[in-house]
Amino acid sequence: MAKKYAVRNIRLCTKDCLCLYVCPTGATDTENSIIDVSKCTGCGDCADACPSGAISMVPFVYPPQQPKTESVVSMMNALLRSKSEQENIAAGLSGRLAKAIEKSNRIMAEDIIREAGYMLPQSQNTKDFLQSLLDKNPEGLPREAVEKLLENLYKNEEEGSMKDNKTKENLMKAFAGESQANRKYLAYAKKAEEEGKLNAAKLFRAAADAETLHAFKEFELAGKVGSTADNIKDAIAGETYEYKEMYPEFVKDAEAEGNKAAATTFTFAMKAEEVHAKLYKEALENLDSTEEVFYYLCPVCGNIEKSVPEKCVICGIPGDKFIKY
Amino acid sequence: MAKYICSICGYVYDEANGIPEAGIAPGTRWEELPGDWVCPLCSADKSLFVKQGEATSAPAEKTRPVIDTPSDTQELSPLEMSALCTNLARGCEKQYKPEEADLFRQLADYFKSVAAPSKDPSFSRLLDLVEKDLEEGFPNANDTATQAKDRGALRALTWSEKVTRILKSLLIRYQNEGEAMLENTDVHVCTICGFIYLGDNLPEICPVCKVPNWKFEKVEGR
Ligand SMILES: [Zn+2]
Ligand SMILES: [Zn+2]
Repeated sequence: MAKKYAVRNIRLCTKDCLCLYVCPTGATDTENSIIDVSKCTGCGDCADACPSGAISMVPFVYPPQQPKTESVVSMMNALLRSKSEQENIAAGLSGRLAKAIEKSNRIMAEDIIREAGYMLPQSQNTKDFLQSLLDKNPEGLPREAVEKLLENLYKNEEEGSMKDNKTKENLMKAFAGESQANRKYLAYAKKAEEEGKLNAAKLFRAAADAETLHAFKEFELAGKVGSTADNIKDAIAGETYEYKEMYPEFVKDAEAEGNKAAATTFTFAMKAEEVHAKLYKEALENLDSTEEVFYYLCPVCGNIEKSVPEKCVICGIPGDKFIKY
Repeated sequence: MAKYICSICGYVYDEANGIPEAGIAPGTRWEELPGDWVCPLCSADKSLFVKQGEATSAPAEKTRPVIDTPSDTQELSPLEMSALCTNLARGCEKQYKPEEADLFRQLADYFKSVAAPSKDPSFSRLLDLVEKDLEEGFPNANDTATQAKDRGALRALTWSEKVTRILKSLLIRYQNEGEAMLENTDVHVCTICGFIYLGDNLPEICPVCKVPNWKFEKVEGR
């Protein structure tokens, strides 16, 4: 959840001041009645306790404003133009009615431009507007005011993107967990089938599919799915790391510990990943080719060939066991 | 006996009931109400009432001209930029950011100070613009916002259109009555929607935007 802090509406405050008793940091007890942001922890206890509803919790980072269509913006701008002109005319006339009309038109102009894409002071539109003032630098512009606004209003953006990074990190953690669960459940399902526990096997397969759905969604939300060319490049990098760096170390460790089965599995995987990397490179070069390609998978070691071999070059099983894709 | 509804605030004048507390007897016909009678809630004049059951707007007898849409690269005039800045100042106020609100107001003052004054200001030019808004600006903008399902824009348009209709009736009265219209009466403006109220007894809430009346501002002479 977005970080928030407490603010007090002085007009609504009836000085019953339960907030003083519940605030854990003394942030509400100030001589000018403005809650001290630097002390506020965002706990919300004061807002809950206030009997007059005078305290609100507001976010440090506001959500983006509602998008506006171009046609609405241009219609609103046309009215804005007319209201501003009327304000200007009324300003040149004397009497209370003229003064009221001048004010009235300003208020309408404000409301109209608010709905033409300038609702939020922290919006990109406002930022662009302020930046354009600095760029154009008309004579007499109070530059310091513009600079201060740019500094104050957008300083929390960084905080906002840090929050994004945390979520991105969590998405990738969840993706790793769900992916593992998927393979784990499939392994359990295979075992259950061997034991004839068919209902349990079914549940494992269903749950494995569910975890795949979660993993796909999380991976996508983390922004990891790119164009196919980008995805192939990513696959090449992953396979290369595995066969060049990861598995050689693993094989060494397994041999040192005398774990022959693991050493063999790691060796098969290492050699297969090298083949995969090579195939991915070829696929990337021929990405736009329409000529159909077939792949043959060795069901024992994971080797992939583009034609059926006599026997697997990695593990040696006969070629007729290969699975066609 | 018919009913007439105020197009600004929704007040209903029922001929059968009259308004006995204001000396209008039950059974008083709409036509019998004096010409200067105004809505007791929002002081809209009789022309702003519609008979219940009749279409609210005039029949579309003529196709209205479509405004040549201003291009997107249109530069805002200094006064428009000033309104943009006072709007953003209000936004900062709502977020309890008094420092930023002051900075935007400083910018608004700057833009207002560099805006060229109107060349030949007159009440009749105001009335012309108000009529053009009501005939073209608002209907066109309403259609566009309805099509885009932009509820926010429709809200702003509904308020401004009502306020503009009140402005039109005030300007017509002013043409006929002159300064006498303002004698011994207060002028208030709703600071939220721009509604203008002539009279001493403020309505409890703004008839257009429904804020409580302490959001109204009394206009002092100049
Ligand atoms: Zn009314
Ligand atoms: Zn109002």
